[in-house]
Amino acid sequence: MAKRVLNVEDDPDIRTFVSTVLEENGYTPIMAKDGEEGIKKVREEKPDLIILDILMPKQSGIKMYHDLKTDDSLKNIPVVMLSGVSRRTFLRSQAALTEFGDETVPEPQAYLEKPVEPEDLAETLKKILG
Amino acid sequence: MEMSKLLIIDDEEGIRKVLSISLASDGYDVLTASTGEEGIEVFKKEMPSIVLTDIKMPGMDGITVLKQIKEINPNAEVIMITGHGDMDSAIETLKLDASDFLNKPIKDDALFVALKRAKERIDIRTKLKTYTDDLENMVRVATEEVKRRSEFQDKLITSSNDGIVATDENGVIVIYNYGAQKIFGYRRNEIIRKTNIEKILPEKLASEFIDGLNNQASANFSEWREISIADKHGKLVPTRFSGSILTENSGIIGSVGFFRDLRELKRLQEELIKSERLAATGQTVAGLAHYIKNILNGLKGGTYVLNVALDKNNTDKVKNGWSMIERNVRRISDLVLDLLTYSKERKPEAEPCFPNEIVEEVCSLMEPRAREHNIEIRKHLDSLVGGVYIDPKSIHRSMLNLVSNAIDACIFDSSPKKQWRVDVYTELQKDHKIKFKVKDNGMGMDKDTKAKLFSTLFSTKGENGTGLGLLVTDKIVKESEGILKVDSELGNGTTFTMYLPYTNLSGAGIS
Repeated sequence: MAKRVLNVEDDPDIRTFVSTVLEENGYTPIMAKDGEEGIKKVREEKPDLIILDILMPKQSGIKMYHDLKTDDSLKNIPVVMLSGVSRRTFLRSQAALTEFGDETVPEPQAYLEKPVEPEDLAETLKKILG
Repeated sequence: MEMSKLLIIDDEEGIRKVLSISLASDGYDVLTASTGEEGIEVFKKEMPSIVLTDIKMPGMDGITVLKQIKEINPNAEVIMITGHGDMDSAIETLKLDASDFLNKPIKDDALFVALKRAKERIDIRTKLKTYTDDLENMVRVATEEVKRRSEFQDKLITSSNDGIVATDENGVIVIYNYGAQKIFGYRRNEIIRKTNIEKILPEKLASEFIDGLNNQASANFSEWREISIADKHGKLVPTRFSGSILTENSGIIGSVGFFRDLRELKRLQEELIKSERLAATGQTVAGLAHYIKNILNGLKGGTYVLNVALDKNNTDKVKNGWSMIERNVRRISDLVLDLLTYSKERKPEAEPCFPNEIVEEVCSLMEPRAREHNIEIRKHLDSLVGGVYIDPKSIHRSMLNLVSNAIDACIFDSSPKKQWRVDVYTELQKDHKIKFKVKDNGMGMDKDTKAKLFSTLFSTKGENGTGLGLLVTDKIVKESEGILKVDSELGNGTTFTMYLPYTNLSGAGIS
């Protein structure tokens, strides 16, 4: 059965692009347009992997990532970050959340900066999902 | 000691001897002379403080001796020795400032008293001299102090960076410092005590001074205010001015004005604005570059999707890829249009059109994006707004920006479970204007955001905005001589209201 991948992304262009890459590589794409809808879809669909954007309206990827990694039933789903925000900034934001008393969370499985080449995205997914 | 030097002038040797012995034993250093002429010589040489002289002598008599001695040293004590029947001469000598006279034969006690008095007079004179010297010294010290203080005040006025101009009660300038010279351009020596205040001040201010000096107005210009001064060469100098009428015992004694040169300040302000503008331009370029990069990525993604779709012969995917390309082509053409509108002066080009139709078109353009985010666009278009003479492009561009902003305000609103709405109104106004209103119930703005709206290329949308939209709208509205108003509350939404003037079709047709 095809692995199911959730893409949480507010930009419709990138959603179309990512879903095409996913289909091309034999995955089933699931889409969410912000962190709020994203976390709902995670619980409903239990995807095999999540591709997560950071700068989104309503709930950002920073908060959603933290929520995912501190929920026992969800923390084992691998997450690939796909964002215009640099990896360093993202890690620093997670560290900041920790400083405010939240649990320390592990780093994401992979971090891709936009724009991403279709081959790089496919390769990253293949490495994690096999 | 000079005090104890004493000269005896007498032609009788006996008298000289007796007096010499007697006075020497009293502790005087006694000098003698047998004639008036000799006496004067000795006096000049030895300068005794007391002289005893006979009146009647062959040659120079005692009265002449007295006159000459007093000429040489007015402070010398001269005691006259008089024989019997010399009383008239004796009295005359007193008029000539002799100290005393002794009658022959000279009695010791009379001599003693006369010398004592002479010594007292010398003493008093010495003391008096000390007092006088002290007094003079004190006056000198006091004068110096006064001078020092006045110099201090003078320096204070002279070295003040502010221009200080003071007049006497007639309006004649008496103080005019270097600060004033820098502002007014006239040299100090052209002005001080030569010029009336009216000559260098602007008319209105000058009349305030004159009225104040004439006690005609309750002259009160102590409040700082900005005044432009025309200098000697007619160049306007911005200054801050404060002044007052000077009074003493309720009488007017003059006036003073303080002028602060604002040229440097204005220059610094301009520089600051310039550097801020430069910084803003830098930010703008960086922001625009980012925005354009995003569009390019969208185009690149579109071509990828399109290629995949063509390979697979997947019509749905072709549509997806194609709409990505279309959307990004539109974004970049919108951007270019905004940039052109922003950077160029443009006169609105009025033509016959239907504003309601333009608004309908804008709403339908924005509809897909609104629907995607569950936002309802509601139209409330006034049927009285018919065909008019107005610039359709202005309406289209500004309404597109306002509706698009309203939708973004809803998308970025993080309130849970809200029915987001964008209400679009048109309304015919009485004064040949059409009111366009775009109201959303999205995130709203705080004061800071509202303050920045029209000031710089400011975007709340991060890399998804250029900050150009509202500036362009504002510019269009201003060029159309319309009005743009904003009302917003954080968390409760924003309303933009735009009034654009129009001309009736018939009226325009005739002209």
